[in-house]
Formats: sequence, C-alpha cells, structure tokens
Amino acid sequence: MEKKQSGSPPSLIDSTVVPGDVVLDLSSMTNQTIMLGGGLRQDCDAISVMKAGTLRFSKPNKYWVESSQKRYTPCVEDTVLGIVVDSKADNFLIDIKGPVLAFLPVLAFEGGTRRNIPKFEVGTLLYLRVVKANFGMNPELSCTDASGKAAEFGPLKDGYMFETSTGLSRKLLSSPTCPVLEALGKKLSFEIAVGLNGRVWVNAATPDTIVVVANAIMNSESLSGAQQIIMVEHLLKNIQ
Amino acid sequence: MEGRLANAWRLTANDKSFIRTALLSEIRIDGRKPYEYRKIVVKFGREDGSSEVQLGQTRVMGIVTAQLVQPYRDRPKEGILSIFTEVSPMADPSFEPGHPGELAVELGRIIDRGLRESKAVDTESLCVLAGKFVWAIRIDLHILDNGGNLVDAANIAALAALLTFRRPECSLGGEDGQEVIVHPPEIREPLPLIVHHLPIAITFGFFSNDSILVIDPTHNEEAVMGGRMTTTVNANGDICAIQKAGGEGVPQRVIMQCLQLATAKAAGITKQIKEALYDILWYHLLRETTLETGELKCTTQKEL
Repeated sequence: MEKKQSGSPPSLIDSTVVPGDVVLDLSSMTNQTIMLGGGLRQDCDAISVMKAGTLRFSKPNKYWVESSQKRYTPCVEDTVLGIVVDSKADNFLIDIKGPVLAFLPVLAFEGGTRRNIPKFEVGTLLYLRVVKANFGMNPELSCTDASGKAAEFGPLKDGYMFETSTGLSRKLLSSPTCPVLEALGKKLSFEIAVGLNGRVWVNAATPDTIVVVANAIMNSESLSGAQQIIMVEHLLKNIQ
Repeated sequence: MEGRLANAWRLTANDKSFIRTALLSEIRIDGRKPYEYRKIVVKFGREDGSSEVQLGQTRVMGIVTAQLVQPYRDRPKEGILSIFTEVSPMADPSFEPGHPGELAVELGRIIDRGLRESKAVDTESLCVLAGKFVWAIRIDLHILDNGGNLVDAANIAALAALLTFRRPECSLGGEDGQEVIVHPPEIREPLPLIVHHLPIAITFGFFSNDSILVIDPTHNEEAVMGGRMTTTVNANGDICAIQKAGGEGVPQRVIMQCLQLATAKAAGITKQIKEALYDILWYHLLRETTLETGELKCTTQKEL
C-alpha cells in the first residue's frame, strides 16, 4: 500500500467534512502516534468524522474538526464572558451559554478571603476562565489565571455585549489579527473582550464608535478577509 | 429549574445602561435612527392565503383558511373573522409550549381589533345564505422568530395572507334554493376577499429619560424600554386602533406625535405590501395558462 501524504485519501485537511467521512486510514500509517481532537472517532483502523465542520491539522500529529455553533460546550482553560444569575453561599451562578449554569467560587479571586467576598449584582458581566468542565456536572470558573493572579479577569464595566457564534469568537482571537479588527483598529480606538462562548464585549469613548464596532464584527462572520476590509471602510465612511 | 435558568436569554447591566445612553445621542444599537423601520420582506407560499414576513430578525408566518359555518344569531348576514396566534419555544426561550402566554393573546387581540373595528375585511360579502351559511375566515399566525416587535410583523403577515387568499365560489341550488353548492377550484375560479383598506400596526417604545421615542423596537430595546404603544392606522390617515397596555405614563403631545409618525410610516408599508402582492399576482396569472394547449383560459383573458 503506498504511503500517502498526511494519510487522508484524498487530503481533507482544511476542507468541510460531514459525519461519516473517513479522514484517515490507520492501516497505511505505522508506528505513528496521532492525537485526535473533537469531532473525530476511531473505528478500528479508520478515523471517521462525528461532527460537521472543517478538518484541521497541526504539526506534528494533531487532527480535529472545527465547527461553529450558537451554543457553547465548556472546555477547560477557555476564557469566557459570563453573566451573574444568582449568588449562593459558596458560589456565584453564572450563565456562560452552556447547557447548564456554571459555578464561580466566591474565593476564586486574587487575594480572596471570606472577609472580602465581592458583591456582584444579577446581570453583572464577568470575564472568566473555565477551570473544570466535565460532562454532566456544572462547570467551574475562576477569576484568576493558573498562578492565582487577577490578570484582567473579573467584572467589565460599561460598554456593550453582544452574542456571536463560537466560530466567530475563535476567529477574533486568532493570530495574526482578524482583518476586521485590524481595519477597525486603524481608524477607531476601542477596547474589546472576546469570550470563546460566543460573547463579545466592546467599549469605547463614544456610543457611535461602540455601535460601529459591534455591527462590523457581527457582519464579518461570513465574509472573507478582503470583503471584511471593504465592509469596514464602507461603514466608517457612513459615519464620517 | 436550573435547566430553564440556563436557557433564558439575559441582558447585562452594561447593555441596559448602554442602550439608554446611546439613545440620548439618538443612536440605536443596530445603527438605525430612532424613527427608522427595519427591512421588511414579504414572501408568499405556494398555496393561496399563506405569507411569511421578515422584519429584521423577526419572522412571522400567516395562513388564512375558510369554512362554511352557521353565523352568529345576532349577525345572521355577516361572515366571521377569527385570529389565532401560535408561539413556539423555537422563537424565544421564554415562550412555553402548549398554552399561549399573555404576549400571544395580546398580539392576537391587537390585530383582531385593527381588522374588525375598522371593517377592513368586508364581512357582508361572506354571507352565502342568511341565517344558515356564512364563510368563517380563520387567520393563523405562527411566530417563527422573535427579534422584537412581533405585533407589527404579525399584522403585516395577516394582511398579506388575507390579500392572497381565495375562497371557493359557491351558489345556491337544490329544489328550494336552500342548498349550498361549493364549486371546486378547477371548475370555478376561487374569489378573493374584499379588503377595503390595510390597517398597519406601528409600535413605539418609550424610554424614561426625556421621553425618548423609538419606532420598531428590537428584542434588546424591548427589554429595556419603559413602555410601549401600538397604533393601527391606514394609509388614508384613519386611526383604526390604539393599544397602550401598562408601562410608564406618556404626555398627550407625545401620543399625537406618535400618531403623526405612524400615518407617515403606514403609507410606506402599505406600498411595500402592495408591491410584493403585485409580483405574486403575476405568478397566479401565469399559473392559469393551460400547459397542454398553451392558451390562456377565458377567465384570465377577461382580466387582461
């Protein structure tokens, strides 16, 4: 059997796949360790797709399927934007657009002790990190990074929050910078926080800047890089 | 209970204050001006009497059907018009499946009042045999997506469906002339309803600071606004109905301002509905062409 480049017949990397597609044939690849991410499943010798999306590969051996949804599946170490729903004795209940509410322990803040528990009103927007996310359990969040420092986590003041799909959030956080953010950044000055759960928060000095940035980002989902730049120029011309 | 909490749509405190602050500078979060409507798209289904209206993100479908029934005792010579609304949880997580909530009932009532009180649909022409048989027109409104301002979208859907609906022609027969024969559409061309004018519902949202007024509020604005008012007017400037259910008080001059704005908007929306209708009437005309012989049937030649 001939050895094929990256083992998929023909290469499906970076193209759209649907459930049932076989992307790798393990019998043709010997002595290799492959890591499978989300959306892929092993059936004896064939690696088949479970979720519709785009197949991605990263060297040396990671394969996964990337898809975009409106709902969010909590994953550990994701940074998300949550809304406070309720506060209990030990935890705050936070809505992160997942299947269930998440818990934020009252002590999960930098220098947090029983004496200085922060008071969050219902409806406060927080920038958080997912610490634990197991299937069937409520996810656990934290307002500190792994070493215990605050690092920009915590409540966000003023500004405007809008919802997007998870795919658009990932695009906004990718490097190099997403074209729409770069084009907007050249003319306007604003502050932005992107949650991987499909929520984006924008703040700027004037309301019309916030509205332009929010609408530009929402419109950019299905546009290619060049189209995004044209769209942003069009929007900016209208407000000037 | 927690599952329901997780699914609810929430507005953050930041958004609430931002929407109000932006409105002070006459900016709305989707970039519209305060008195601007979202884009309206009116589409029709394959069957007569079905329409789908899109108002920005809000989508409503309207279906009109008719049945021969006995008239009400106190109105033996008039047909019956009834409106039913169905809201599905797919449209909005706050809707519960099964029984319609307050919102659905109020929606149905506003549209019903707009059509009935202004006598937009001629009910006397729906009488077949006085006291025995009249046509009962039933309008079903299905809310498909709630992006704010369901009343206006549902009203346009109801009007569009009524304008394209065709009821079968029927005549009296039998020995004593008391039997009603309903002619199938293949034998006799179905007839349209007589609609005298189009009452258009225009919804306003009031915000507490400096009595700011917006037309056609979106979902976010509805969650923040202090009060709402729906005025149903037609293109001639007649006021068909006004609904202001609760919310904060509004001075009289603001109400007069709303009515003037509504009349201006109603003319534009009526024109849009008629243009969409024009396209679908052409389609009906072409449908009458007999495919085998390629010639138009007699009835449509007369129309031409």
